[in-house]
Amino acid sequence: MDANLREHFDQAVSDDPGFDPGEMAHAAIARGGRVRRRRRQMAAVGAAAGVVLVLGVAGGVNLRSQPAQPSDQPTTVAAAMMPLASPGCSLKAAGATDVAIFLTSEVTQAQRAAILAALQGDSRVEQLVFEDRQSAYEKFRELWKDSPDFVAAVSPKDLPESFRVRLADASTSPAFVAKYQEQTGVQDVVGRRCPQNAAVGGVQ
Amino acid sequence: MTETVTSPRVADDTTRTGGPAGWGAGRRRARAARDAEFTAFVESAATRLRRSAYLMTRDWHLAQDLTQHTFTKMYTAWDRIRTGPNLEGYSRRVLMNLVFDQQKRRSGSEIVLAEMPDQPDGTAAAGSPELRLALVDALARLSVEDRAVLVLRHAEDHSVDTVSTILGVSVSVVKMRNARALARLRTLLGEDFRLTE
Repeated sequence: MDANLREHFDQAVSDDPGFDPGEMAHAAIARGGRVRRRRRQMAAVGAAAGVVLVLGVAGGVNLRSQPAQPSDQPTTVAAAMMPLASPGCSLKAAGATDVAIFLTSEVTQAQRAAILAALQGDSRVEQLVFEDRQSAYEKFRELWKDSPDFVAAVSPKDLPESFRVRLADASTSPAFVAKYQEQTGVQDVVGRRCPQNAAVGGVQ
Repeated sequence: MTETVTSPRVADDTTRTGGPAGWGAGRRRARAARDAEFTAFVESAATRLRRSAYLMTRDWHLAQDLTQHTFTKMYTAWDRIRTGPNLEGYSRRVLMNLVFDQQKRRSGSEIVLAEMPDQPDGTAAAGSPELRLALVDALARLSVEDRAVLVLRHAEDHSVDTVSTILGVSVSVVKMRNARALARLRTLLGEDFRLTE
């Protein structure tokens, strides 16, 4: 009905830098697949808990609730539980201005303190922010609020803690990433190239 | 957790393989078929979705991110939604909800927009960088709800009814926002930016 306006909109997106849809589908399948598997696990755990409860009632036995543990704890953090990149940031192995260091779920006090000390003593670090599980969880819940079943299946302890770093000099990022990737207690180190006004670490 | 994604090559009818040994293979084939179907959907929908995300956010990187998130969410629910009547509409709804959330979260740290150019004074030809940016900048000055209506209605050409379904608001709200947003655009861009209604 409004051909003129339609044209204007088409022109407005004509500087599209392009992308690879196959890659996008692949990433969605890999990440979404992890969420699906996790959901299935949760459902199985829920069902098992239900059976225990029913048996307990039927037998008249007062079973102490035993927290059921998923047998195969995921070793990597599902991408769905990772924070979104900040606006304007793009993934960069080399020349990253911002780095997010995600900690493993089994990280100990001492390991966390060691990483913090290393970062505080690192002259390449310009700004440093620590994101705890609770804060990560608040953001996660907001992001996935239209999937209440998924949110219900995840608790703060499932989300990674992270150190977010802004580097003084982007050219130091490959060595920086490599160093912290090696530290005990580190799950993953992600470098991004960001504008000045982005959140420190390049993630929200 | 390093599962490789099977290459999309198997059709749907192979999903039910009988026999005791066929179980694992059947499931793998079912997944391959599902992944192939999903990939085809992404390939058909990604460009338009990503461009709408750009018009909503003025940021290609963010648009890419939000689109990726939309597809990831859709894949997690694919078995439930794949046969639905309106996958396209569903994908728009997921995307717009992500955009709304994203805008809400960053509204605290909103950067002040640069002065709008005093143009257009008739010198900016359609398709010129000035007008192209002017439209995107002007969109950014609308409320996110109004912007969503304009993008869905005019960049994507959805009917008023479809837009109302996607956004979960009544038809009259869509019409009202559309009229308001078009008037606002015209004010921002000047009479030179001709909008027929």
